[in-house]
Amino acid sequence: MGYFANTEELNKVMEILWNKIKEQPDMSQKLIDTKLVVQFKYRDPDGLLTIDCSDGQEMKIIVGATNLKPIIEMSMKADIAHEFWLGKTNIPLAIMSGKIVSKGPTPKALALLPVIQPAYTLYPLVLQEIGKKIA
Amino acid sequence: MQQTMQPFTFHTPTRISFGEDTAYGVGDIVAEFGASRPLLVTDANLLKAGLLGPIIEALREAGIAEPVIFDQVPPDSDITCVRNAVNIARAASCDSVIGLGGGSVLDTAKVVNIGLTFGVDVMEFEGMNTLTSKLLPFIAIPTTAGTGSEVSAVAMIKDHVEHKKLLFGSRFLFPDVAILDPKLLVSLPPGLTASTGLDALTHAIESFVAMTKNSPSDALCLESMKLIFGNLPRATKDGTDLEARSAMLVGSMMAGLSFTNAGVGIVHALAHAFGGRFGTHHGVTNAIFLPYGMEFNLEAVSDKFDMAYNYLCVVMRDSAEPSKSWFVSGKGDSATNLIQAVRNLNSACGVPSRLKDIKVPELSETEMIELAEIAITDPAIMFNPRLASIEDLVEIIKRAY
Repeated sequence: MGYFANTEELNKVMEILWNKIKEQPDMSQKLIDTKLVVQFKYRDPDGLLTIDCSDGQEMKIIVGATNLKPIIEMSMKADIAHEFWLGKTNIPLAIMSGKIVSKGPTPKALALLPVIQPAYTLYPLVLQEIGKKIA
Repeated sequence: MQQTMQPFTFHTPTRISFGEDTAYGVGDIVAEFGASRPLLVTDANLLKAGLLGPIIEALREAGIAEPVIFDQVPPDSDITCVRNAVNIARAASCDSVIGLGGGSVLDTAKVVNIGLTFGVDVMEFEGMNTLTSKLLPFIAIPTTAGTGSEVSAVAMIKDHVEHKKLLFGSRFLFPDVAILDPKLLVSLPPGLTASTGLDALTHAIESFVAMTKNSPSDALCLESMKLIFGNLPRATKDGTDLEARSAMLVGSMMAGLSFTNAGVGIVHALAHAFGGRFGTHHGVTNAIFLPYGMEFNLEAVSDKFDMAYNYLCVVMRDSAEPSKSWFVSGKGDSATNLIQAVRNLNSACGVPSRLKDIKVPELSETEMIELAEIAITDPAIMFNPRLASIEDLVEIIKRAY
């Protein structure tokens, strides 16, 4: 049994988290400046989240299916995403062992890591907000 | 308290065949895979040097139809070259790929195999772990001892129009077979012998201390360092020295197996940034940055450098090579002596020691920061054992200039 009960719960957590990131100008402005469209595809349970910064003006958060074509697509098990946001995933090791699939320009994907790192502190707050224990 | 061993995945599906004249067994290997129409990817210089003739003959003898030859791989291969080769291969209904050449050729051949196998544009698979099934049979025959591409799961090519590096990484990119024939390296010029060999040494040293290092990779790195330290000057001085050529081929392959399973580090990240901006040779740029990268990492991994130095002192004790002296003459501690030994090896091989020696122009602070910003997002740096800031990278660039 994975950490997230179902797709609804997973999408809800990720949507709240990314909205909190959006509210933090230190992070959101840097993401907007990249003009990237990044899509996160999760499995066990399935989930889909797209962050659209393509217009360089605004960060749009899209939960579920979209016609947008991502520049970077990150696919992983939902549990890997959970561990990542807790700051517990060794990214190089996860890539080496094939646990994370990164489609598109790898340097651009890696450049996002230090930008979103401050969100590690937000993630436990999101879980707390929806009344979920950190496992 | 005893430290727990870090989890790791060590993957090496490539069959490695080493020995003089092993390249002539390529026909049997192609037949063994049930293939009959291989695409032979190479470069024009190797064709001119006459390296292809005996291999084509060997294919014929094994009953393989005339291979389709693509000999237009440039030294710094790109996506246009890949697409051209894929089109030729598909038109000729090729069912397998042979890469014969240096790193650029082998990386090109790997990416061509993606396009040939799936029949779609290879850019669909740019990134890490994007392939989900096996490719057509791929046989790698290196003609340099340096890149390790013959046993690695990655391929890097350029997009010269967009000025981008394109990285492809997947366990399905491992060649099925690597044929290591030292006779194919005999005509490699001294400069390229040295620079490619120092690329291999950089693989061995960086992956020995990488964040994702593991016990199998450690063993490979130590043996690789021994073979390279002991034989690179010999192979550089006398290209016909088959013993030294053999040791370099095997050392390079072992370093390749290691870095593809453990990663590299800051030296490669900087070499990629400078190669992308100034077109500097990858091996030479690695050789220049290696001592400075090691000095930067020293505070995080001095125990590992110390161990490697002491190991090399022991295993090279009975060596008749001048390299023996590099390991006994150091005045510092073992870890700094290893860095000095690297400098001594570079110097013995006649490789430049400064960026300005390879026509890198004098850089402004802003230009150095721009290069550091490229290096800090290079995939290689995520494996480095010590976290580097932009300021750290600028400092290394200044010192290496």
